[in-house]
Amino acid sequence: MPEVTQSLAAKIITSNYFLVIIKAAILLILVFYAIFALIIIKQVSSMAKTFVTTISPIFASVAVINAIFALILIVLAVAVL
Amino acid sequence: MFHAYVENPENLRFEGQSPDEKILLLLRAHPITNIPWIFFSLVFFLVPFFVPRLAAFFGFSLNLIPDTYLLAFLIINYLISLAIAFEGFLYWYFNVTLITAQKIIDIDFEPVLYKGVDLAPLPKIEETDSKTAGIFGTFFNFGNVSVQTAGATVAIEMKNVPKPAIVADLILDWAGVAHQHMRGI
Repeated sequence: MPEVTQSLAAKIITSNYFLVIIKAAILLILVFYAIFALIIIKQVSSMAKTFVTTISPIFASVAVINAIFALILIVLAVAVL
Repeated sequence: MFHAYVENPENLRFEGQSPDEKILLLLRAHPITNIPWIFFSLVFFLVPFFVPRLAAFFGFSLNLIPDTYLLAFLIINYLISLAIAFEGFLYWYFNVTLITAQKIIDIDFEPVLYKGVDLAPLPKIEETDSKTAGIFGTFFNFGNVSVQTAGATVAIEMKNVPKPAIVADLILDWAGVAHQHMRGI
């Protein structure tokens, strides 16, 4: 019985339809993450303006790097998957 | 820099601060209150270490999934872990209460893009009270401090701040001094 299940799972996973669905799901998650990362930039900017410390610019830089990384990942996912 | 209770903090300012306005006290939630987001971030970080074992337990081999897809899932997992940690830290770091010689400034940020700033002039403060509750609160000495102003137009609540009894007492003392200054005594 486990062999049958394994074989069925293998067939489903290696089918093109399944991989297309997974690719779409991955892209959707990455797009949502990119939107979230862009919101974080605005949020950090608002936080750093309201409460200014010596390390506020570091947070702003991390937020920008995170957003750039998220956008690069979308491009990579489209190209590689 | 990352402390939750700092008297006479330096190298920081807030929006709308007057040039001669000195910050007397900086308060944040006690660091122990960061445990929930640290825990969730760690759980997400460790997920990839357990998934292969879990899959094997159910008789499923991850070798069936193409490597590029596995890598994508791995990256997404670490992105989520990173996002939880970054957001958690930001909200802890920037949700502060500042007490100056003139007023109390309570800065609140909430997801997503909510910003609230409550101001209470020190001379108008009439009452403060502190509450410590729970095992963690009692053990680590943190709790809530409420500040009532005249006319109850503004009530500021500082949540989970360290040394709540001392903070409540200090605020009332500084309010008394500010009140005397206002009356020219």
